[in-house]
Amino acid sequence: MRTKQEYLIRYKDGNLYCELADIWIDPSKPVKKALITHAHFDHFTFGCEEYISTKETAMLLKERVGDNIKIKTFEYGEEFKINGINISFHPSGHILGSSQIRFIFAEEKWLISGDFKLQKDQTCKQYEIVKTDYLISECTFGLPIFKWDESNKIANDISKWINNSPEKTSLLFCYSLGKAQRLLNEINQTNFKGNIYSHGSIHKMNNSYRELGIDIKDTIKIENKKKIDELKGSLILLPPSLSKGTYLKNFKNIQTAFASGWMSIRALRKRSGYDKGFAISDHADWDGILEVVKKSEAKNVFFHHGDSEALSKYLVEKESTNVLLFGK
Amino acid sequence: MSLKKFSELFGDLDSINSTNNKIEVLKNYFLSNDPIDNSWAIYLLTGKSNKRFISGRYLKNLFSQIYEYPQWLIDTCYLKVGDSAEVITLLLKNKTKSRKKKLSNISLNELLSGTIPALSKLNEEQKNLEIKNLWETLPEDNHLIFNKILTGTFRVGVSVGLITKSISKLINIDEEIISHRLMGDFKPSIDSYKFLINKDINLQELNSKPFPFLLANTIEDKIFKNSINDFQFEWKYDGIRMQLIKRSGNVSLWTRGQELVNESFPELVEKMSHIKDDFVLDGELLVWNFKEQIAFDFSLLQKRINRKSPTRSIQIKYPIIFIAYDLLEINGKDIREIKLENRRIELEKYFSKWQNKTENNITDIFKICDLIFPKDWPDALTYKEKSRENNTEGLIIKKKTSIYSSGRKKGIWWKYKVDPMQLDAVLIYAKGGSGRRAGLYTDYSFALWKDKELIKFASAYSGLTNIEIKELDKWIRKNTIEKFGPVRSLKPEMVFEISFEKIQISKRHKSGIAVRFPRITKWRKDKKINDADSLENAYELMKKIS
Repeated sequence: MRTKQEYLIRYKDGNLYCELADIWIDPSKPVKKALITHAHFDHFTFGCEEYISTKETAMLLKERVGDNIKIKTFEYGEEFKINGINISFHPSGHILGSSQIRFIFAEEKWLISGDFKLQKDQTCKQYEIVKTDYLISECTFGLPIFKWDESNKIANDISKWINNSPEKTSLLFCYSLGKAQRLLNEINQTNFKGNIYSHGSIHKMNNSYRELGIDIKDTIKIENKKKIDELKGSLILLPPSLSKGTYLKNFKNIQTAFASGWMSIRALRKRSGYDKGFAISDHADWDGILEVVKKSEAKNVFFHHGDSEALSKYLVEKESTNVLLFGK
Repeated sequence: MSLKKFSELFGDLDSINSTNNKIEVLKNYFLSNDPIDNSWAIYLLTGKSNKRFISGRYLKNLFSQIYEYPQWLIDTCYLKVGDSAEVITLLLKNKTKSRKKKLSNISLNELLSGTIPALSKLNEEQKNLEIKNLWETLPEDNHLIFNKILTGTFRVGVSVGLITKSISKLINIDEEIISHRLMGDFKPSIDSYKFLINKDINLQELNSKPFPFLLANTIEDKIFKNSINDFQFEWKYDGIRMQLIKRSGNVSLWTRGQELVNESFPELVEKMSHIKDDFVLDGELLVWNFKEQIAFDFSLLQKRINRKSPTRSIQIKYPIIFIAYDLLEINGKDIREIKLENRRIELEKYFSKWQNKTENNITDIFKICDLIFPKDWPDALTYKEKSRENNTEGLIIKKKTSIYSSGRKKGIWWKYKVDPMQLDAVLIYAKGGSGRRAGLYTDYSFALWKDKELIKFASAYSGLTNIEIKELDKWIRKNTIEKFGPVRSLKPEMVFEISFEKIQISKRHKSGIAVRFPRITKWRKDKKINDADSLENAYELMKKIS
């Protein structure tokens, strides 16, 4: 058995690192070369000399942080070589452009799942099953209490929630990139027929999605001074950062909700301070993680991003999977 | 008409904050369901059903057995969720996408009067099979309610008062009357619901209604310009404000929150029914230390508040007293328009009559409040400062010539509290104590509201009794959200009254304020976190003091 230092990919300063290629995956500090799995800000940091990602991720990043970064892009499945290691991106189903990253070196396969989900999402490519020897997987929702409903059921609940309070303005908080577009797409297929507004940050991402060929319904960009009557019975999508503070004073007679996987737990829902929670996530649920572990045929599994203790123990006990611990 | 509808109602009530909307939702529910299910709904919502058919532990074990989940995994999930019924509900989502035909429309009545009680008649094996069967046949969105009823943990954020209000609005009849009808042994049935919504009011119901309460204002400086002789001085007791009513021979006991609490204090109701006169008294209910003739702490009173039909031993352990400070009606005559000083004369007159002429001795449960006679305002201040010694909160100062009007009318009654620097705050963190308190969570952090967020404002570790510390410790362990080393973040649920000596602006704290010598003065089990104070209240307090 090899020591931690001898693994192709390991943890270094809290980040995933491949020493042989001197390349980092989603680093949280500036480095020379960074592979970026997707365009969420908790997977990106300024100041790296070179970024490598999928075409979509690159475009979304540039839209968010400006053109002033150097990004090399590859198509899904396209292999490229760094120091003799074959690297490729594969769809992870998390958001548009999101990817798993596979490394092949000396006939040994490594797969970094990135953030992923198996659920259907019309705004991005479906998760692709990739076979591997070593799997490094996220496990944000690594407990069996997490079991997602179909997204159209959630969308119908949202539509009902708005339609039941026609005298109110419904504010739905969700991440501006990915979740918002997925929700828009789903809500568009429900029987909610009122106006949909979105905050500037979401509006911008909607446009980017459209430019990348994803069909997102047009929404109205919310201006600060909208007439209250005009907003009655309509839906406004806002980023969660605006839920606290004075921004909400722009509206009268509102009801608020948060769309997140955590909302499946009542205590968290109550504590969140939103009137309502919709449990919809762009991460895999318990079954999703188990399925990926199984179908990847990985002989060795590592977990990061989340509470891995219970999940690891379960896999070792019930599935006899070899779960390894990363030295952080 | 079904468990499904009731589950939806629960979901709605759970996600609505506005009281008015809750009332609307309840009204609509009652309108669209049949009387028998409505009566069960009321039974559940008013917390009359907390019978535990199956323990949470049993349910978790059963789940583990049936679906082959290791017990430790369920326990880990429980830590995240904090409620057995909900953990099982969430776990079931993974397991019951089954082929079985669903019992899509079981009525509340069927479930609560048939299916669930029948479980207790089965042997263990049959019982387990039946629960499994119900899990697999009940639609998924009914599971939470079902599991909660099974484990006797059904609770939702509506008060009895809110239910009362909804029914009152539904049929356009005064809340007091609905409250009266809801009192006592409410057994779910078609008849009990029909009685509840009956538009004909009988005389006895009318007779039990309390008068609107007159409330005291916080003292203002201008009062000191008046002659001390214009005022009547009483101790400000820290109990439950009530009206004790006897009309046409029937005694009823009403809190200021319009709740009829006869059932919690049967010994008082019984004793007062021996008095020959009819009356309406305004006063305070306390748990009383008869030996020293002072009130026991409010926490003892809490042992009585929510307990209906207390046993004889509870009655002896926590002896109550009603201290009357006003007489509002006597033998059918409303005397609220008479001056306070004259009402006091009447009160004293009748009290001595009742003391002498009532068969049972009433003074072991009833008295009238003592008056204090300060010579001048500085003397009044001295009394105020001493009020902690006899477990009172300060003074109540009443204008002798005032009539008994309603609400918080200015310039009639004043409260002069001994320690005005108090805020009700929510417990959000706990840290392990050391030394004598090792192994227990005894260092607490408290938060106040800022919009919808709880902001930490003070830490305190003194003020609770050892028994309370143990009780709280147990609660903390069960309601931890996250652990950071020795510190646990907690489910915001517990409210405490925090007292302190000084309050000032501080840039070092997120809350923007700092308090001196914060301590816990009361565990406010009677309060929900929404009742806690806000940072704004703290700023107001600061303004008032400087």
